[in-house]
Amino acid sequence: MAYIDYYKILGVDKSASQDAIKKAYKKLARKYHPDLNPDDKDAKRKFQEINEANEVLSDPEKRKKYDKYGENWKHADEFESQQNQYGRGQGQYGYGDMGGSFWSEAGGDEGFSSFFESLFGSGRKSGKSSNRGFKGQDFNAELHLSLNEATKTHKKVITVNGKNLRITVPAGIANGQTIKLKGQGGSGVNNGPAGDLYITFIIPDDNRFKRVGNDLYVTVSLDIYTAILGGEQIVDTLDGKVKLNVKPGTQNNTKVRLKGKGFPVYKKEGHYGDLIVTYSVVIPEKLTEEQKELFRKIQSLS
Amino acid sequence: MEKDLIILKEYCHNSNVDQSFILLLEEGGLVEFVIIEGERYIEESQLGDLEMFSRLYYDLSINVEGIDAINHLLNKVIQLRNEIMELKNRLTLYESDDSEIVEII
Repeated sequence: MAYIDYYKILGVDKSASQDAIKKAYKKLARKYHPDLNPDDKDAKRKFQEINEANEVLSDPEKRKKYDKYGENWKHADEFESQQNQYGRGQGQYGYGDMGGSFWSEAGGDEGFSSFFESLFGSGRKSGKSSNRGFKGQDFNAELHLSLNEATKTHKKVITVNGKNLRITVPAGIANGQTIKLKGQGGSGVNNGPAGDLYITFIIPDDNRFKRVGNDLYVTVSLDIYTAILGGEQIVDTLDGKVKLNVKPGTQNNTKVRLKGKGFPVYKKEGHYGDLIVTYSVVIPEKLTEEQKELFRKIQSLS
Repeated sequence: MEKDLIILKEYCHNSNVDQSFILLLEEGGLVEFVIIEGERYIEESQLGDLEMFSRLYYDLSINVEGIDAINHLLNKVIQLRNEIMELKNRLTLYESDDSEIVEII
């Protein structure tokens, strides 16, 4: 754990007045507040840093201790205990509510840095200073699914804050889609309702299919002879293989649409998107002399 | 559909928020009340927004007009983020790493 320069974090110098610290803190809080930067992890981290800096610098006692030990903070406890032993100590530091610390209310992974806790102890979490909480904190989580898993309605057990939750993932859930589980967030305050749990699904494409909305895209290699003369082609779909008729004279990159062979539509049982097959015509690279001769013959005829 | 309602007065008391502030939010169209027999109630579904507005007002000293503007912009941010996600998903269709680099003659 490294020494943290709280003055630098708030952009003030060591002689800054309480007013200047408050002003700097408010300005930065308006910039990085999680409510104003939804789902921005950098802003959330920055906001926690400025809160921690404010927690220390806005409290004269804490600021004094921080200024006193500064970079020698690792020895602060030793100095303190020696002073107490010889009756010269200042007694326990009180951790009364600091004005303006609200990060736990704003949602996020509250807590002080280990540097803060080494210097000031971890007896109290920041936040709730204004006691305005009512609804519990909303939680956010990410759930990674394979494309195949997302095709079926299935149960999943997830652990949120040490609690196991059994959730039903509806077929057709989209990459990046967020669902809300009401009341599965933090406990409410003053008889307020519990917060909600927001789960964002991360579903990467697999090596066969690419998904756009409810449609799936697949590229199929087609030999030049079938492309020219027409024929049959086996194509993979989500639920097995299908045989397709290929028209004579099929061009490279021709797309055909298979109705209802795409992805299940979210919360619409029995409804499916389409599968779009792109034919990629493969030109033979190694021809025998006889084959080359035949192609030359065709060339001379056309 | 049944909705959970919270008595405004009780909410203000328990969460230490001035009722006048909530009335200003209502005036600005940022929250809606349900009035039953003269008593004002808030729908539970509005609590998340309401608490965010309270944080902006009390902790960041942003007035109701500012909160209104922020709310519009946040909704726009969410809408744009969803659009970006859709476009990113679509973009994977055209992205492939099997392209061959060829020399221009």
